[in-house]
Amino acid sequence: MKIKINNKNYKAEEGELIYDVCKRNKIKIPTLCSTPKIHEGLCRICVVENGGRLITSCNTKVSEGMEIMTESEKISKARRINLELLWADHAGKCVTCKKNRRCELQNLAEDQKIENFHFIPRKEEMTGKEELDLLKDNRSRVVVDEGNLAISRTTELCVECRRCINTCPTKEFGFNNRAGDVVVGTPYEKPLDCIFCGQCVKNCPTGAITDQNNLSKIIGQLDDLKKMAVALVDPAILETIIFEQPEIDSKEKLIGVLEAIGFEKVFDLEFGMELALQKMTEQIKNSGKNNLMLSHCPSFNLFIEKYYPQFKSNILDVDNPDELLAEFIKNQYASEQKINPADIVVISVSSCIAKKINKSQNLDYVITVRELGRIIWQKNINLKKSKNSDFGKELAVKDEKAKNITRTGGAAEIIAKKIRAKYIVADGVSQIKKVLGDLSKNRIETKIIECMICPGGCVKGGGQARKL
Amino acid sequence: MKKEIKIITKNWGQINPLNIDEYISAGGYQALFKFIKEMNPETALEEIKISGLCGRGGAGFPTGMKLESVQKEKSAEKYFICNLDESEPGTYKDRAIADNDPHMLLEGVILASLIVGAKKAFIYINGNYRKQIEILERAVGQARKKVFIGSEILHSKYALDIEIFAGAGAYICGEETALINSIEGKRGEPRTRPPFPTQCGLFGQPTAVNNAETISNIPWIIAQGGAAYAKIGSKKSTGTKLFIVNGAVKNTGIVELSLGIKLKDLIEKHAGGIQKGKEFWFAQIGGSSGRLALKKDLDMKLEYDREAQIPLGSGAILMVDKTADIHELLLSWTSFFRRESCGKCVPCREGTFRLWEIAKRLQDGEVSERDVAAIQDILWTLNNTTFCPLGKFAATAFGDAIVNFKTEIYRLSR
Repeated sequence: MKIKINNKNYKAEEGELIYDVCKRNKIKIPTLCSTPKIHEGLCRICVVENGGRLITSCNTKVSEGMEIMTESEKISKARRINLELLWADHAGKCVTCKKNRRCELQNLAEDQKIENFHFIPRKEEMTGKEELDLLKDNRSRVVVDEGNLAISRTTELCVECRRCINTCPTKEFGFNNRAGDVVVGTPYEKPLDCIFCGQCVKNCPTGAITDQNNLSKIIGQLDDLKKMAVALVDPAILETIIFEQPEIDSKEKLIGVLEAIGFEKVFDLEFGMELALQKMTEQIKNSGKNNLMLSHCPSFNLFIEKYYPQFKSNILDVDNPDELLAEFIKNQYASEQKINPADIVVISVSSCIAKKINKSQNLDYVITVRELGRIIWQKNINLKKSKNSDFGKELAVKDEKAKNITRTGGAAEIIAKKIRAKYIVADGVSQIKKVLGDLSKNRIETKIIECMICPGGCVKGGGQARKL
Repeated sequence: MKKEIKIITKNWGQINPLNIDEYISAGGYQALFKFIKEMNPETALEEIKISGLCGRGGAGFPTGMKLESVQKEKSAEKYFICNLDESEPGTYKDRAIADNDPHMLLEGVILASLIVGAKKAFIYINGNYRKQIEILERAVGQARKKVFIGSEILHSKYALDIEIFAGAGAYICGEETALINSIEGKRGEPRTRPPFPTQCGLFGQPTAVNNAETISNIPWIIAQGGAAYAKIGSKKSTGTKLFIVNGAVKNTGIVELSLGIKLKDLIEKHAGGIQKGKEFWFAQIGGSSGRLALKKDLDMKLEYDREAQIPLGSGAILMVDKTADIHELLLSWTSFFRRESCGKCVPCREGTFRLWEIAKRLQDGEVSERDVAAIQDILWTLNNTTFCPLGKFAATAFGDAIVNFKTEIYRLSR
């Protein structure tokens, strides 16, 4: 069908959303609450005009003869007011926020040229009683949850866009309370205890859900001249670091930047993956059992522990590649190079947030792509001038295919080829549930089962930067 | 003055509401007998369409059209929901129906369900109506014993089960999609439309949601015929309506009158006029979400009319006299919506909250220039961009007050 957008004719398919048609034709519409799959239309920022009426473009389907305007005085007024309303109890918190300068809400305010907030009185206009009320009101509604090692939450910075609710594969979050008191939280505000896949962190537009970390300590270790900081770079982040830091456009550049922020050595995690693959292959070969589950996805291990404990014994007993490589570095590598293992700090730069949860003996820290971006920013590195470099040659891989482990099905394919066994792959929680359901009913008889919680594997992992 | 025809209140005070036999001897369940013996869903629907009955919950959507769109859906499973989630401040007509004549409501629910082809009906009742839940549950039990409800209603091929579903008393759950979410066990929030509930409602099946008062008219229409009903009331909207008169009049309470009555007549003839020594200021038509009728609007007709400047809404009429404090009223409206917004969309959640804050400041006389501009902005965004009509409702009365009583409202301000 044909529709008119900004007085130009465009073709659209039946049932397509206005937003998608505009996106395809490079017409920019700002959005906040929509996720790739679910469009609730609750932020009311993607409004467009259809015959003088404001409608949301993200969840309205096109119909014959529509005449859409994507920019008008009315539209920008609606966007401005709604954004200002969102900002009303958000203003002034940016400086201390972990998401500062990486914040979609900030970007939106910049795009819509919002310079003043009308809906809260200025301090000099407030009476003492009101000020106290405001403070009490804001404080009483804030829920802070930092009870785990991976994800830190504070509703103080939340704008209730519900992206985390809609992207969480295990439905940990929901709305609590009503109206102005609404907060996004877990049932009964219990501390978050999930599979820590990190999709909520990745999708949060503000600093409400962020990586749990101790960046100042990590930076201290990097700066410490006595310590030898070793970075392990996950192949999964090579293509996506560009979304966090547009200046880092190649592997070599990334390694150069890592060296510039204080890493003495940068190794490719592929070597660890090779180690993990070898160990897993061996274990599968030596095991008489069927339906063995690969253990390189930490979120999946947690998923089994929490929801399907009956299959706990099916999971292989192999640590994740980061830990194996860290162990190798602190033992073999350290003794070869004659370095005291206690002086080595191994930091994995990963696309996975669940790795933070694992209690590992050798791996010191796991940082996500977002945290790397923040360290780069805090260290004030001139990215344009930083030089290119390459991985440490000491730990080179023999098998180039090992990095396939980062996409779903990669590891199972490699192992199955080696030992000639059957395998099943499940991608994302809904598929995993199906496979495990079948397994419970004994409908599955295979040797290897590989499951990855993040759909698509580590490239779409929870530690990645969100592509805007 | 000609005698007013009573449809809904005809048995009120005459029979014991807890006894089904008294209702039957007063002519109750005759419509059901008639339907089973002489009619089929199509002819019964035709009667409702002829009657011109429209929704009494506030929107005034033609009931025949709604029932028809569910009836023609070809789905094995359909639902009928009676909306008794009455939470509009100052509205208590549905509660009174359940109190005084639960079987009339029940008969209406049975008839409407059979017309649309639903095998299961829900009566979604405000959870605060504890007594009425009890009454209705007892009524359902009695009707079941008399085989008015069950797998073979009056030994015919029709089957129906009725469940009383108590909500938690949220205002938003009176909105039909939010009500459906609530029955499904989800958070009471409106859904995106389309699809409309008549196509994809409760549990994904075609569902008709009708107000309790609307449904209570159906037995009369089936028994007496749609044409007879269409003779009552005005040209634009037929039938009678329960008006709930509150505030500065002599006789407050519920009164059943033909639609199309003038506001002036309602006050003077049926509510006994304004209380002694008080002067009429304005009337709010339709509960907290209603618009304000001033002295010049006293000649307005109370009826369901799409083009009407002041919609009738739920039928609650609040008379305000000159002694009332407009700031108190503003605060009461805004605090109601600030509490009852579901929190889903930004303009409603944040807008009602900020409006309430400003109302508090208005009362203290602490309003600045900035607030005056902010009021306009918030009202505009509530009117134009909210997800569901609740946002508009929140802006209606406040907006009217700001336009009409500017001097009184900003009297205290700096």
